[in-house]
Amino acid sequence: MLKYYLCLVWRDLLLVMRQPAAVFNPLVFFVLVVSLFPLGVTPQASQLSQLAAGVIWVAALLSTLLSLDLIFRSDYDDGSLEQLLLGSQPSWLLALAKVTAHWLVSGLPLVILAPIVSSMLFMPYHALPGMLLALLLGTPTLSLFGAVGAALMTGVKDGGILLSLLVLPWYIPVLIFGASAVQAASSGMPMNAQLALLGALLIFALMVTPAATVAALRVGQMQG
Amino acid sequence: MHLKRKRKLQQLLLLTVGSGLIIGLILYALSENINLFFSPSEIASRKAYPVQRIKVGGMVREGSLERANDSLQVSFMITDYQHDLVVYYDGILPDLFREGQGIVAQGQLQADGAFVADQVLAKHDENYMPPEVSDAIEQASAAANATTEQTDL
Amino acid sequence: MAHFKLPRWFHQLGSPKWFYQFAGLLQPWLALISLVLLFWGIMWGLLYAPADYQQGNSFRIIYVHVPTAILSQSIFMMLAVAGAIGLIWKIKMAFIVARACVPIGASMTVIALLTGAIWGKPTWGTFWQWDARLTSTLVLLFLYLGILALYQAISDRQIAARATAILSLVGLVNLPVIKYSVDWWHTIHQPATFTLTQKPNMPAEMYLPLIVMVSGIYALFVLLLLLRTRNEILAQEGRSGWLTKLLQEGHA
Repeated sequence: MLKYYLCLVWRDLLLVMRQPAAVFNPLVFFVLVVSLFPLGVTPQASQLSQLAAGVIWVAALLSTLLSLDLIFRSDYDDGSLEQLLLGSQPSWLLALAKVTAHWLVSGLPLVILAPIVSSMLFMPYHALPGMLLALLLGTPTLSLFGAVGAALMTGVKDGGILLSLLVLPWYIPVLIFGASAVQAASSGMPMNAQLALLGALLIFALMVTPAATVAALRVGQMQG
Repeated sequence: MHLKRKRKLQQLLLLTVGSGLIIGLILYALSENINLFFSPSEIASRKAYPVQRIKVGGMVREGSLERANDSLQVSFMITDYQHDLVVYYDGILPDLFREGQGIVAQGQLQADGAFVADQVLAKHDENYMPPEVSDAIEQASAAANATTEQTDL
Repeated sequence: MAHFKLPRWFHQLGSPKWFYQFAGLLQPWLALISLVLLFWGIMWGLLYAPADYQQGNSFRIIYVHVPTAILSQSIFMMLAVAGAIGLIWKIKMAFIVARACVPIGASMTVIALLTGAIWGKPTWGTFWQWDARLTSTLVLLFLYLGILALYQAISDRQIAARATAILSLVGLVNLPVIKYSVDWWHTIHQPATFTLTQKPNMPAEMYLPLIVMVSGIYALFVLLLLLRTRNEILAQEGRSGWLTKLLQEGHA
């Protein structure tokens, strides 16, 4: 089972490496959205540092949304998704592998980019470890819930905007606790509670979303 | 068949462990008590930085409300019965703003230790009652106070 | 999947033909009940219930706000349960009922948010506050709108029904957050006025009209649901034999 899982993840990573633009674009978008705030709101350091936590999380949410379509689209189009669903291995493992690959190419780079972006927003340096922890706990949840939406959209043509409509509300708890964790970290208050809640959300997403993703994929297959 | 049953068992086990972890984490988070506003004591002990926009909460101290004659400028003190904090506010106070009631104010802490609010919100409790009832309660407690004072004499 | 026996009425409700006729019989009675209850509750609440000792007359909006807020949540629950029944037992009627629920639920959420805003201004001092309960009600509205959008996007009604059932089940995750958010982040919104387990913190002359209003609005919901469901049956079963027969006999 583990071998099957790793095999699927590796396959997706290989596919991505052949087509790197699809991964880079959401990341560029992430940096762009963040850099719009100094231009649109104020370049003043004191005000930007207050906004930083929220801006980074909102940008992370939006760029995750942009990359969600990658999870199933190409496999659905060339029919390999159908073959994988028919296979003998449990299909929730397929969903989990897809999400893992997606997080490795969209969530993890966000975490790596975050220190650069946060210094653009003059976030205090002592908040960095807290922010990285929060992003590490929060972004997998985004990928997990996003996969349900992406699976629902497999049969729908041009489902881009609809996908954001469906998925964004589910992201709100992550946004609230994530931003509040970073806020707490930058004002020097303890952030254990927020991190614990982010962890709880992640476990919850791990328990709920694979089954929902598979069910949604099967509905999508009906349309084909 | 056996394989299927084993998988069912594994799933059940994972679900139980997962739910246990979730409950544990939530309980831990609840015990940590996320701070949404600072109390006057926390302000007094310098837990908040003056540059930030913060929220402070507390009870309005009896007899501390002062209104300016020619403007909407008001000032009052909020307290958590250990420390007091002077709040300045320019605007219309909500209906439920009373002395002795809890409020949450949003604004900035000044260098002199006073707080300038740009928004004042009243917290109201979930108890609803007609005016006569609350009058009766007040009279009853006043009467009770009066009798205790008499016995003290 | 376990194959335990379902009661007879469950299958009867699952038949569009039976449902269509049964709902037609119920309609006039429900219309009467909801009209009487709503009229009675409004009159009692607005004219005869005493004013609140702190909020004065503005608290009377509770008689619209609380029933619609309760309904907005229970409709979502019903929507998800109907979707689950449809997915598990493959009952077409469950999907039809779920589809009929969504616009009603969305409108109730809008009314609850609007009346809440109107109430908030005099009592809290603001129309809108980003507090837990308000925010999660807004999220509830977004969830409803997402489901509506998904119905629009998929033209095949059977597939749309399955997709939205999954969507609403995942969205149901949001409901406990709404319910417990007040305890989680204790903010400005007062705890729920009504709980099933506790005696209300309100004198009888204030909460009795509220109970009348809540029951009235539930009756109204059932009525609207039946109307919409029958409409949906007409749209989906338009070509089936029993329907043409009914229509020709003039019973529809």
